[in-house]
Amino acid sequence: MTRVNVLLVLAILASAMYLVSVQYESRRLFTELERTQREARRLNTEYERLQVEKRSQATPARVERLAREKLQMRQVSPGITMYLGSGEAAPQQP
Amino acid sequence: MSRSIRYTASPLLTSKTPVWRSKLVVAAIALGFVGLGARAAFIQVFNNDFFQHQGEVRFNRTLPLPANRGRILDRNGLILASSVPAPSIWAIPEDVELDSSQRQNLAKLLGIELAELNKKLADEDKNFVWLKRQIEPDRAKEIADLNLKGIYQRTEFRRQYPEGEAAAHIVGFTNVEDNGQEGIELLYNETLLGRAGMRRVIKDRLGQAVEQIGETVAPVAGQDVQLSIDTKVQFFAYQKLRDAVLANRAQAGSIVVMDASTGEVLALANYPSYNPEKRTNLSGAQLRNRALTDTFEPGSVVKPFTIGLALDSGRIKTSTIIDTAPGSVTITGATIRDAHPHGAMTVEQVIQKSSNVGTTKIAMQLPASEMWDTFSGAGFGQKPQIEFPGVVSGRLRPAKSWRPIEQATASYGYGLSASLFQMVRSYTVFSHDGQVIRATLLKNSDPAVGVPIFSADTAAKVRKMLQMAAGSGGTAPKAQTAGYSVGGKSGTAYKQMGKGYGSEGNRKYRSWFVGMAPIEQPRIIVGVMLDEPSAGKYYGGEVAAPVFSETVQQTLRVMGVQPDIAIQPQIVAKAVAESF
Repeated sequence: MTRVNVLLVLAILASAMYLVSVQYESRRLFTELERTQREARRLNTEYERLQVEKRSQATPARVERLAREKLQMRQVSPGITMYLGSGEAAPQQP
Repeated sequence: MSRSIRYTASPLLTSKTPVWRSKLVVAAIALGFVGLGARAAFIQVFNNDFFQHQGEVRFNRTLPLPANRGRILDRNGLILASSVPAPSIWAIPEDVELDSSQRQNLAKLLGIELAELNKKLADEDKNFVWLKRQIEPDRAKEIADLNLKGIYQRTEFRRQYPEGEAAAHIVGFTNVEDNGQEGIELLYNETLLGRAGMRRVIKDRLGQAVEQIGETVAPVAGQDVQLSIDTKVQFFAYQKLRDAVLANRAQAGSIVVMDASTGEVLALANYPSYNPEKRTNLSGAQLRNRALTDTFEPGSVVKPFTIGLALDSGRIKTSTIIDTAPGSVTITGATIRDAHPHGAMTVEQVIQKSSNVGTTKIAMQLPASEMWDTFSGAGFGQKPQIEFPGVVSGRLRPAKSWRPIEQATASYGYGLSASLFQMVRSYTVFSHDGQVIRATLLKNSDPAVGVPIFSADTAAKVRKMLQMAAGSGGTAPKAQTAGYSVGGKSGTAYKQMGKGYGSEGNRKYRSWFVGMAPIEQPRIIVGVMLDEPSAGKYYGGEVAAPVFSETVQQTLRVMGVQPDIAIQPQIVAKAVAESF
């Protein structure tokens, strides 16, 4: 009888220790998950920010200024455009 | 025989105290224990809410999950407005301990004056003060690296508008709390906002979340709003308008570009404008979305409707001769004049030369109620079907109250008022086979279903007249553009100054042009208005038509429309010259 009792006490102690360690592990993993999710959110907003940044570097105002000033380009006009019609609608230029 | 020695009978303890006293003490102590037990049971079993709650408050935290505000996109999915994180810096003045060099450094990083920073930190009774809201993330990181006591950050979101002032009036802006204040931001605030979520966690001593309790309420991100605006068209429409306003020393100007088959607004710009990201020292003139909120007498732009009605009802033909000599006509005592007397002319020429007398003579054959039906059907005096903050309906009095002279002036566009946007929309009658179509600011590529005003045949005839008006013998030849046939009507009006229209030499004008291209199968309608051009020229055909011409040219090119009139090609000569 006593031997069974001792065994049971040991078993209960082991299980309690195991519970503590599992609890600890779960909290540790949770914090890690937490941190990773925060990182994901941060990267997401960073991505959004860079999208806007990219867009503002490619606004027509900027593109036009650079094309004119840096690349010495000029506006196209129908006079210097070759129109390629599809099938019947042939271009009018010689 | 056993003899029990009674406790009370012990000779050592012989006392005169009566027995009930000790019993009373025992009873009182027992009662005390019962009371404690009852209280413990009451707190822990029956009425445990209060302390449970107090316990939870000490380690449970509800964390908000912010929802991003939706983006505003143009018709090709390019960003017109988007939220980016922008940390805000706040402080607890009581906890702040900074020496003067740290203060100087912080003020520099925040971009505020040192004196202002000191003032904000001076009031030690406060335990919260914003130092600067929504600063650059890089700056915020530098401040965080300083590790200053009592200085904290909070992530907020700031709107960015890559198109800046070109699209400011359409897109609008939000306030620091992320609520729409103007334009689309205000109109679609609910859609854009989204709903913040939340979750509950247990936090440990270090403030880290260690366990989640219950369900997470996921945030619902704001929806994107896709507009019908084409960023490219919007930009150069704004650019051409700005150049024209400055060149003509005008007070202001507006331009509207509309897709003639779907009713989508491709561009809507006003000048002066503002940068929606830097809104300090804004004036009312800059904020005003004139294309939608300013009404004026549409003048000659209305003449095609009068002529169209007369043609449609079969009262006249395009070749009918109208005698406009001697350049004036008198209706119930009031005289209507033409700028130049023209003599006898066909109905087509009445539009081409923009004759008030000719239009009046045609209008006098029409019942007032029919004219009213046509005008209001085309949207004059009616609320434009687009919703927009500050949109106006203009004015068109009921036909019953028209006197003959009012009917005459209404026929050439006086005595009623409309915004530039309404005028542009009304011209869908001519571009869309006699049907007026619904205008929209949202992307919608389905062909619009219109409300018939005229027959398709009448619309085509009027288009031909509009083409003549923009031709070499018309009032606005400067509206022509290389490669594309155009048609349209210019208008010029004296601005009302006080009670009258000002005296000779001291008049103020408003000039505009509304037209479409290519004229056979119109793809776009463009309206341009300049307010008080004061550099000498003031006729709509002189100041507004060139803006129309340039805008049409580039818009049709962007849309990939093939030129419908022969052009002088320059490609071959150029290629030869360059190859040697």
